Amino acid sequence: MKLTYRLAALATLIATPLPAFAATINAVMYKNPQCSCCESYANYLEHNGFKVDIKPVNNLSQISSDAGVPADLEGCHTLMVDGYVVDGLVPVDIVKKLLAERPPITGIALAGMPSGAPGMGGEKSGPFVVYAFTKDGKAPAVYATD
Amino acid sequence: MDIDFSYFFTRRRLLQAAAGVASTTLLTARASELDERELKAAHGRAGLAGPDAPWTTVWAYDGTVPGPTLRVQQGRPLRITVENGLDEDTTTHWHGIRLPNAMDGVPGLTQKPIKPGENFVYEFTPPDAGTFWYHPHADSLVQLGRGLAGALIVEEAEPIVVDRDLLWLLQDWRLTDDKQLAPRFGSAMDAAMSGRVGNVVTVNGTVPVDQLVKAGERVRLRLVNACLARMVALRFEGHRPVIVAIDGQPCDPHEPEDGRLMLAPAMRIDIVLDMQGDPGSRHAVTDDFYDGLAYTLTTLAYDSASPLRAHPLDAPLGLPRNPLPQPDLASAERQEIVLQGGMMGGGKLAGVGGMMGMATPGMNGGAAWAINGMSMTGDGHAGMAPQFTLKRGTTCHLTMRNETAWWHPMHVHGFSLLVLARNGSPVPNRQWQDTVLLAPKDTIECAFVADNPGDWMLHCHVADHQMAGLMTVFRVT
Repeated sequence: MKLTYRLAALATLIATPLPAFAATINAVMYKNPQCSCCESYANYLEHNGFKVDIKPVNNLSQISSDAGVPADLEGCHTLMVDGYVVDGLVPVDIVKKLLAERPPITGIALAGMPSGAPGMGGEKSGPFVVYAFTKDGKAPAVYATD
Repeated sequence: MDIDFSYFFTRRRLLQAAAGVASTTLLTARASELDERELKAAHGRAGLAGPDAPWTTVWAYDGTVPGPTLRVQQGRPLRITVENGLDEDTTTHWHGIRLPNAMDGVPGLTQKPIKPGENFVYEFTPPDAGTFWYHPHADSLVQLGRGLAGALIVEEAEPIVVDRDLLWLLQDWRLTDDKQLAPRFGSAMDAAMSGRVGNVVTVNGTVPVDQLVKAGERVRLRLVNACLARMVALRFEGHRPVIVAIDGQPCDPHEPEDGRLMLAPAMRIDIVLDMQGDPGSRHAVTDDFYDGLAYTLTTLAYDSASPLRAHPLDAPLGLPRNPLPQPDLASAERQEIVLQGGMMGGGKLAGVGGMMGMATPGMNGGAAWAINGMSMTGDGHAGMAPQFTLKRGTTCHLTMRNETAWWHPMHVHGFSLLVLARNGSPVPNRQWQDTVLLAPKDTIECAFVADNPGDWMLHCHVADHQMAGLMTVFRVT
């Protein structure tokens, strides 16, 4: 039994193309059940190596608040990925930078739903400023701009 | 002005036939006697989450959640003294009752707010029988959200024949893990999206347990949505509810489309349920309004006794009509209000909060919504300029157009609206409503006779939406 299991696992490992296997990042997205822009963002993430489990919730602002997202940075969805919180329409390169660098923060957020942000459509009218936040009461600091 | 008096004639005739003139006189005397009540709004606690869960700190009328059910009689003068035991101003709005403007309970607009330790005497004679409710209209989001709400049932002189008359008053609470109310009322995200929807729904003040029913009985069930923001779509598994009144006003008895009862915040629906399940059987009552978030609200649990009767009761379901003035559509004055803003609103509020594109409206306490380009925020205050003015006695043909991506139960104070059409299709069943639900992009047409002078509110009853600008005022001179 055990041997069969091991062989099967080995076969799976060999058969799976390595890049895809390495790149798939699991994430959970909490979103308002009636907001559609979050789904476009999830779709964008899925085209960039993520596997997104979408969970509609009615108390999103409570969930994001509990997750440490400052009230003035709250977006219309909250993503939990690899121990970090990603709130709002953060470009995928910045999410990947976060996961590679693994800084000692709670998460990052792009405030508002700026035009031109991934999943949003429209023209980008200025740089996106992504903030890092922690749960220790310190003011958010700029993490990256795009 | 043409008034539907058939009910009164029927009532008198029946009374005379059944009991003679002497007792009719007696009833009239009793019915004209003043009915005096008292209510006190104060801090309290409630066992919302069940007997074994911690108490929740709430604000309550007379120490109970919901507040006491006031059962009063149609046409009998009523005096309710409301005492403010809170630490902040309050008022009480008698939702759906057609009453004098000064009794409507809107701070600044119709009365001075009741200061802490003071009281206000509300006096009116309810003209319509039906299911109504009461709640504060000051700091509405917080006061309603902390539990201040109760049912106001105006009894018909001659109700329909049922075995039991039940009330389910639904409230929705956003509770933390230790069963206390989550902080941050008025989050910008809630304001610009679907409002402060919670995570615990109570029926008559507690997380519902089984509803015990008897096979064969006929129940009149009064449903009241007293939630801040939660829309409810109920299904009664294995049963066929018949709607007999909406927002207190009798309609032609009918089954809801697809067996689904849509009950938005502040709406009431009276249904008649014939309990035709087998003794000992169980049937779920589910709410499937939000995609992916359906849940069982409660369960109809039949006792094991044999049915009360072999066949459903053969008694009429139609309630006596209330004396509502009939709109004269031919001479009606047309008015239109357009609901704008919110997330995914396409920048309609660009001029309101300096919002660009689809940026977050409602940030920093600003407006997230507007009516005809104007955002009135808060609960009501002095000097609110009316959106339109109607001469007393005029029929108003009111079109409400929802340009937003969100649902809005629009509540008109002081009047009931005859709902004419939804998205161009006639609305059947002679429905009168004081709270009309608009789905995203819906257009509703309705009519009413402006027979009651004063400045009257018209606002969305998702409390966050009202606070963030989805409110207007009209004047009847």
